[in-house]
Amino acid sequence: MRDAIKIGILYSTTGPYGSMGRDAWDGAVLAIEELQHAYAGRIAPEFIDPNANIPDYLDGARRLLRDRGCRHIVGTITSLARKEVLPLVEKHDGLLWYMCPYEGFEANENVVYIGGCPNQHLLPVFDYLLPRYGNRPYLVGANYVWGWEMNRLARELIGAAGGEVLGERYLPFEETAVERIVADIEQRRPSFILNNLVGPSSYAFLAAIKALGARDPAFRPENCPVVSCDLTECELSDIGTGVATGQLCAAAYFDSLGTAENLDFKQRVAARFGASRRISSVFACAYTSLKLCADAIIAAGTDEPLAVRRILSAAPARTVLGPILIDPETHHAALPFHLGRINDDNGFEILTSQTAIAADPYLTGRHRRTSPQLRVVS
Amino acid sequence: MRETPNFAGWQATILHREDSMTDRLVRQLRLFGCSVTRQWHPLAAEALPDIILVDADQGWDGLLPWTGAVAPRPLVALLGSEAPGRIAWAMQQGAGAIIAKPLSISAVYPALVMALAIHRERSAVAEKIEHLEERVRLRPLVHAAVQQIMAARRVDEHHAYTTLRNCAMKRRMPVEQMAASIVGGAEPMPEAL
Repeated sequence: MRDAIKIGILYSTTGPYGSMGRDAWDGAVLAIEELQHAYAGRIAPEFIDPNANIPDYLDGARRLLRDRGCRHIVGTITSLARKEVLPLVEKHDGLLWYMCPYEGFEANENVVYIGGCPNQHLLPVFDYLLPRYGNRPYLVGANYVWGWEMNRLARELIGAAGGEVLGERYLPFEETAVERIVADIEQRRPSFILNNLVGPSSYAFLAAIKALGARDPAFRPENCPVVSCDLTECELSDIGTGVATGQLCAAAYFDSLGTAENLDFKQRVAARFGASRRISSVFACAYTSLKLCADAIIAAGTDEPLAVRRILSAAPARTVLGPILIDPETHHAALPFHLGRINDDNGFEILTSQTAIAADPYLTGRHRRTSPQLRVVS
Repeated sequence: MRETPNFAGWQATILHREDSMTDRLVRQLRLFGCSVTRQWHPLAAEALPDIILVDADQGWDGLLPWTGAVAPRPLVALLGSEAPGRIAWAMQQGAGAIIAKPLSISAVYPALVMALAIHRERSAVAEKIEHLEERVRLRPLVHAAVQQIMAARRVDEHHAYTTLRNCAMKRRMPVEQMAASIVGGAEPMPEAL
């Protein structure tokens, strides 16, 4: 195949999750530049920014698939946007590269999942937190499927552990009036707080919890941590340096990973975006998705999704996340698990890690490990 | 829904001619942890799987080994046709959910969850109706026992019924059974309260 390899990139750089979109966009840009160099200009990216407007995702996907000849789209941050474009991707027999952590219960043949489902983030988080902080959490979330489903699973896990959910509250996107929720938390005194809020709601909430901890030491992170599964380096400066220090987050990648691949990656990012740039899992996963996509298309000699998926499942690819193998049944990547603690430097100190966990999107328990291989790395 | 539905370890049978759609269906069901068999001949009544997916476009009477709308297992119809006769056939077999053809893979899990819930709900309702029918059938006996208590103890109907009911509660048996014992002479006539 000597034709240009067309890859669509569909991220919103504005709106409530604009920080993540901009980081994903930059990760894609870096990957494209490296791929252009490696494959002598054969990579033809098509960038579209739907500005967090759901109908524009559909329109953007249509333009990429129908008008611009892209069979592969790397994109969408929210499940809402992914579900919106999926029927169109199926219709054109394309492949959507989705690289955000999500709530699971999906295994579409026209998607490659690089972001992780709950057995790769929420379950190991609870395995870590429950013995250390107790089993009486408070659940907060964005008022859409991510928040609802993550909290439903959390409730189920807490029930199975014989614990009690002390409260469950939701906020619409961009709602920052968190006072009533925080007052309720102060009164109920949970063991820890699971935060599935998104964007400005999450930032306002973390700031209010910081103020609460200043009044009452019981709510400081060492006593009652706020834990998230989708909060990354790219949002810490929006939250405010030091505001969320001590709070916890799960991810398949942190800027602070000490692997040789990551040290090399950080040098390239610093050369392109400046030495102060913190790399988030969003950046790293968008970058990785584009590299995996282009490399697999080149190796397959075609952008036909089935051929590309065969390459992805045949042997693990070396990536900045570690070796990545796509399961041929679930179409999900096996992903490492890291739990990080936010520091005063807009980064994460890694508390514990697990080697690649196979995805179990329908939580059948088939891949559940009998004894988690926990390894303290710092 | 509080519990995550889990089909791990379930036996699923697809009643459909083998084609690329059933290949995809088999893969998806295996992903849920099901073991899957595929056949295009009638299902044996004595060895029913845990859940059945049937081709409602071409299925015929007798493909499923039961009659009546309460299927003994959760049933999902695979349906491409919009013909009312085919929809009616699926409902007659007791289907609790439909997966439209051509297959969208995201339709499979919701259909299984819904078919299972509908099956459980219908089974519970059928059981309850059976219980209530039994009680209605025995109502004449209750009436007869009340009449006997009224005559023997010279009390009104309301008083006689209360006597019978308290007596049944003390013995921890249904009112109908207590009434049968009294009418049959197996129990002494209770004293009026």
